[in-house]
Amino acid sequence: MKTIPTLREKKRYLAFDVMSEKTINRQELVREILNSMISIYGDKGASETNPSLMSFDGKYGILRCERERRVETRAGLACVNNIHGIRVSILVLGISGTIKGATEKFIQQTLVNKPELRKK
Amino acid sequence: MSRFGSKFYDFYTHPDNTGLMAKEGKRYGYSGIAVIGHDTNEKTIFPEDFSIYTGVEIQAKPSRVRVEIRKYRESDHILIVEGGEEEINRAAVETEGLDILLHPMEFNNVLAKAASDNSVSIGFNLSLLIRLRGEARVRELKTMRNNLKHARKYKLQLILTSDAHDIYDLRAPREMIAISSLFGMTENEAVDAMSKTPLNILRRKSLDYIQEGIEII
Repeated sequence: MKTIPTLREKKRYLAFDVMSEKTINRQELVREILNSMISIYGDKGASETNPSLMSFDGKYGILRCERERRVETRAGLACVNNIHGIRVSILVLGISGTIKGATEKFIQQTLVNKPELRKK
Repeated sequence: MSRFGSKFYDFYTHPDNTGLMAKEGKRYGYSGIAVIGHDTNEKTIFPEDFSIYTGVEIQAKPSRVRVEIRKYRESDHILIVEGGEEEINRAAVETEGLDILLHPMEFNNVLAKAASDNSVSIGFNLSLLIRLRGEARVRELKTMRNNLKHARKYKLQLILTSDAHDIYDLRAPREMIAISSLFGMTENEAVDAMSKTPLNILRRKSLDYIQEGIEII
């Protein structure tokens, strides 16, 4: 059930770009991001940040987090460096208040600027 | 006011493929990188508005560090000593002409005072925080907190470096700021550490520079 607006979680959506040696699947990425967060901030900090992966297509993705925990989420993403021996680095493209905003403003923009990526 | 319009630099990288690293660095929002111990090849194509500097990392016994620093002091290379035990840190900060003392393990007020006199910047190697997990990272964070405390007290210049060996080690400036917040660095300090300090070092390396406070009119 929907709760009243003042009691709702204040969320932000981070659009990010994953660079990896081989393609990685969604499950591995989620696990690694959570691991990284828990390793830095512990269970308590990670629960306050409340990260959850909204979408991921192998390169671009959107991660939801708590509004006041943007910097922590960034640090968590930046500390992801290795998934089962595959070298990985995550670049945050931008932060938005809605999924639509994050997609249109950051992910589609990147594709428009770099048409060669779209052909893949 | 947002300060993300500043120019950002990463002064400690060891890329195998300098061209690729430069391309990625530009995409990430850097204005330049310093490559350590690698002669930049003329043939490599570098993106526009992106500068590549060369640095020298001095690896020597504490007794030899002074001699090595004096040897490179007059060149336009960026001089870096990777800190460690107190003896090597001491030899490094007490010699005029050194630019960066990277990640000293043991740092105290005497060293900080000497570093302040010789305007040596204190480097924070963030790749340690990215790569390590658990106990090892706790140790590095503790060292960094201690270094930051002394650097603040003696108003030393801070510098953030990525120690990138390939493009997967590189992180964007905003990510670097987020990581540096783990050991208590504020956003302002972190931005200064990636733009103001490097620019200051470059200014000192330029031909017009004579001494602090003196300029040719």
